[in-house]
Amino acid sequence: MSNQHSTINNQQSAIGFVVGGGLKENLRVRLTVPSQSVQEGAFVVVESGEWLFYGLVTDLQLGATDPRFADEQSETRLPVDLARLLHGQTLYTNLELLPALMLERGPDPVSPAYQMWADEIAQGLRPAPRPLPVKTIPAHHTPVRLAAPGDIAEIFGKPEESGNFPIGYTREQGHSVCLNLDKFVQRSSGVFGATGTGKSFLTRLVLAGLIHFNRASVLIFDMHNEYGFDDTASDTGERVTGLKAKFPSRVRVVGLGQGAQIRGQTPDFNLEIAMRDIQPEDIDLLTRELNLKETTPTTLEALVNSFGRERWFSAFREMVNGALVEDENGKKVPAPGSVAFWANDAGVNVMAAEGLHSKLGRVFRLTYVVETPASDSISEIIKALEAGQHVILSFGKHESDLDYLLVSNLLTRRIRQAWEKRTNDFRASGQAEPRPLLIVLEEAHKLLNREMAAQTTFSTIARELRKYYVTLLIIDQRPSQIYDEVMSQLGTRISGWLGDEDDIRAVLSGLSGREALRGMLARLQPKEEVLLLGWGVPMPLPVRSRRYDDQFWKELLGKRESTRSESQILKELGF
Amino acid sequence: MTTIEIGRMLRAGTSGFVVGCRVSQLNLPSFGALVSVPLEDGYQIYGLIQDIHIDDDGLVRQLVTADGVDAAVIADNRLNRNVPVEMSVLTVGYQQDGRIYHLLPPRPPLSLDMIYLCSAEDLRRFTRAGRFGYLRHILRAKDLPVGELLAAHLQQSDQAHRAAGNSDWAAAAAQELITLLRDDYPVLMSVLSALSDAIEL
Repeated sequence: MSNQHSTINNQQSAIGFVVGGGLKENLRVRLTVPSQSVQEGAFVVVESGEWLFYGLVTDLQLGATDPRFADEQSETRLPVDLARLLHGQTLYTNLELLPALMLERGPDPVSPAYQMWADEIAQGLRPAPRPLPVKTIPAHHTPVRLAAPGDIAEIFGKPEESGNFPIGYTREQGHSVCLNLDKFVQRSSGVFGATGTGKSFLTRLVLAGLIHFNRASVLIFDMHNEYGFDDTASDTGERVTGLKAKFPSRVRVVGLGQGAQIRGQTPDFNLEIAMRDIQPEDIDLLTRELNLKETTPTTLEALVNSFGRERWFSAFREMVNGALVEDENGKKVPAPGSVAFWANDAGVNVMAAEGLHSKLGRVFRLTYVVETPASDSISEIIKALEAGQHVILSFGKHESDLDYLLVSNLLTRRIRQAWEKRTNDFRASGQAEPRPLLIVLEEAHKLLNREMAAQTTFSTIARELRKYYVTLLIIDQRPSQIYDEVMSQLGTRISGWLGDEDDIRAVLSGLSGREALRGMLARLQPKEEVLLLGWGVPMPLPVRSRRYDDQFWKELLGKRESTRSESQILKELGF
Repeated sequence: MTTIEIGRMLRAGTSGFVVGCRVSQLNLPSFGALVSVPLEDGYQIYGLIQDIHIDDDGLVRQLVTADGVDAAVIADNRLNRNVPVEMSVLTVGYQQDGRIYHLLPPRPPLSLDMIYLCSAEDLRRFTRAGRFGYLRHILRAKDLPVGELLAAHLQQSDQAHRAAGNSDWAAAAAQELITLLRDDYPVLMSVLSALSDAIEL
């Protein structure tokens, strides 16, 4: 009986039937409802025999059985009703359907075979049905319908289950679409979109979900001081809630430099970098930013040889550039303690050393790089992350690329060492499993572009640190600037509108059905719609993203409060 | 079963036959009307009148050119003419053992078999049976004014169905015609043009 019901409902909501196509060229579906009732990107279901096929509408095309029916405005020649009949038969709309997943649903539920099938699954004789990549196609004339909330929950997960974070809604019917946060943190991910497409709001949403879910620690390199404390939206001027305000005990805001103020508030603690922490690799990374010469690595190596890895930076910083003294013959020679003096001593080209010294002047002058920091704030950050807290590193007034590159790379290198050690301890001696860590990188192309990717710790993380429980969340507006090798490693990709062809290509790199998704990405509605892609989502789907507002917080945090009150009630009842 | 006789069989084939009648019988049948030839054991052949033909004879030729022909002469010529009015009928189906088939009959009627005009009830019954299979026969007859014949037939049938409270028949028939003709743009447009004059959906 229930099956009959579902059949009737399906017939009612059928939007068309399969007329052709295949796996390579997508399926073609003849639309039986007005073309405006279906949009590109709609999530549809095809029920064919024992299988359910899930797919995405990638195109709508007008067609005619004979071009003359389309060319001639027959409604002006014929009575309205006759013209309507004629158009119903000769003019049509075809959907192009990208089949993505298929799910076995077994024989007809009223047939005895169904019971046998269900029993076999229950007894473990056959695997329980789960969505599989599409390997076959539905039959001709199979009805196609728009997905119901149950279909979306089947594929993307049920919103009420822990770890499923509702990221948005389907565009036509507004059914909730979830992101599996467990999967999201298992591999590196990316949030993309041209500037002004709501990237940072989307990131806030995801971060709030991750912090609330609390399965992984999050470290945010907050270049523009957006995420910690309350902010004001750049376009609407409305107040935007910061993560610290909603998770006061779980989130620690760290300001860069002594006495840093972030949005007029005092951070939990400040980050200062000890000079001994700066390694030659950190300087290599700044090659482009500081316009360093090719001789730099040689000079750095000589510095390390002369002073050791911990002392070289402070020693080099203290040298005076260009100081001369007269020797016994009255000839001017480099003074002891000058760059040239050391260079001569160490057998390094004097010009190269002096050039490097003057170019490193910007680094020497950084106020947060000190000989001995007031506290070991890097270790404090690592400890907080290991303890399950989340850290937002706000750069405060140090907003230049130099600060961002130097600090994020240095800190990440230390974190990587810590996590590698913990993972090895865990694997070798069975110590506690390290807590997964997600590093959030704004303006990621600055660190992960082609020239730099090889030198930074981030590309290593993107490529292989998954094994060490560290993954990246890359936020960027120019994905094409990010090194391909890093892009192809990204599991989940959430992309807002992108206009540039190269950016679109980069976001879609390594995914199937690229051609079909390309147009969809270019036609997303800015600020409202995002396309979910990649390994972390079962199939690509455009969604209307959730709004980051009070309602969102109420829904996110409300759940926890309600369970608490439930337990309180039970307590009161004496259980 | 109607009892309105309209004439007797002149000559017949499987796909059509010709009926001869007196002029006095001519005021009842019309172009596009459904007629039947009841034969033995409930076997009955149905057809649509696709042409009504009045041949001349020697006397008519003389009278046409004569001056001041008397009204009585004209009436006499019409009533007692030697050459019958001929109605060409397109076979569209038959009935056997109480069931209507929209197929060509197994054998044609014989000479001088009586032809009857179908009543509204017969018309409804014939056009309701099956899924408009008989339209095939009309569309196949390329040398006929297909559009006009269909328009006349649909108009009469629609009236019969509407009289019985069914106003959907004409739309269903038009729909079927569009399906059958949608690969033949010129014919379809001429049929639809004729239909638009004849029926209102």
